[in-house]
Amino acid sequence: MSMPLLILLGFTLFCLGLFGVMARRNFIVVLLSVELIFAAAGVNFIAFSELTGNLTGQVFTIFLIAVAAGEAAIGLGLLIAMVRLKNTANVDDIRELKG
Amino acid sequence: MTTFWILLAGFILICALGVVLARSPITSALFLLGGFLGVAVLYLALNAEFVAAVQVLVYAGGIMVLYLFGIMVVDSEVLRLTRQVHWQAWPVFFLVLAFFLWMGHELYHQEYEPPPKAVPVYVLQEGEDSTALEAKLAKEAAERQAPNPTRVARVLFSDFLYPFEGASVLLLVAVLGAIFLAKKEV
Repeated sequence: MSMPLLILLGFTLFCLGLFGVMARRNFIVVLLSVELIFAAAGVNFIAFSELTGNLTGQVFTIFLIAVAAGEAAIGLGLLIAMVRLKNTANVDDIRELKG
Repeated sequence: MTTFWILLAGFILICALGVVLARSPITSALFLLGGFLGVAVLYLALNAEFVAAVQVLVYAGGIMVLYLFGIMVVDSEVLRLTRQVHWQAWPVFFLVLAFFLWMGHELYHQEYEPPPKAVPVYVLQEGEDSTALEAKLAKEAAERQAPNPTRVARVLFSDFLYPFEGASVLLLVAVLGAIFLAKKEV
């Protein structure tokens, strides 16, 4: 696949993730949409790594996967705390910090 | 070859659409699993074999199981009572669509040129023997031919050693934070 199309594929994934984060109310689906944005970043890293013949992009993708794993752990901890304390998975119900 | 790329990109995009649009979170998570496997095949096709393996092992094997586990642990009544789509869905849709069309147009018409290859020049001093230099060049050429995991490991454990240790600290902190958030009395 040519380079502009690869970049466009990554960007489409990013836009879908962005839409999911802003338009869905279910906390789990919001987290999954964030994972889509991570995948978009990974596609870009690997595409440019292949273009320039430089392995730094691949190493950064490995770090990206580590960061995504940490994000998943924290997100699920938040979900369980949310369900225990408020008995809801709706992101709109968590608004106590809103002034 | 082109058919392969079209099928792969279509598969990834359909899975991504399924994540965003599916009604039940389980369906979303399973679509995301398919999307991750498609992205792993994409990495494989772009000569990043090691990252593709890590993607399948950690993402599809680890993170997705964690998500499915989280969905199963949470009471399904709570999830079903959650109204699926936010009132701001339509405004956000048009906003993201406009952003996509504008930025996608810009990105598509960008020039993507590989950087010019640097050709190293070696100058032999007077009376210097060339065997040592030839051995060094042969070693470098052999390293360029080494399999992908070997080369990735060389970069990861030399240039990125400290970020690598930092990532392990990050994961430790994330695990402690997750335990703290999920325990009974906060």
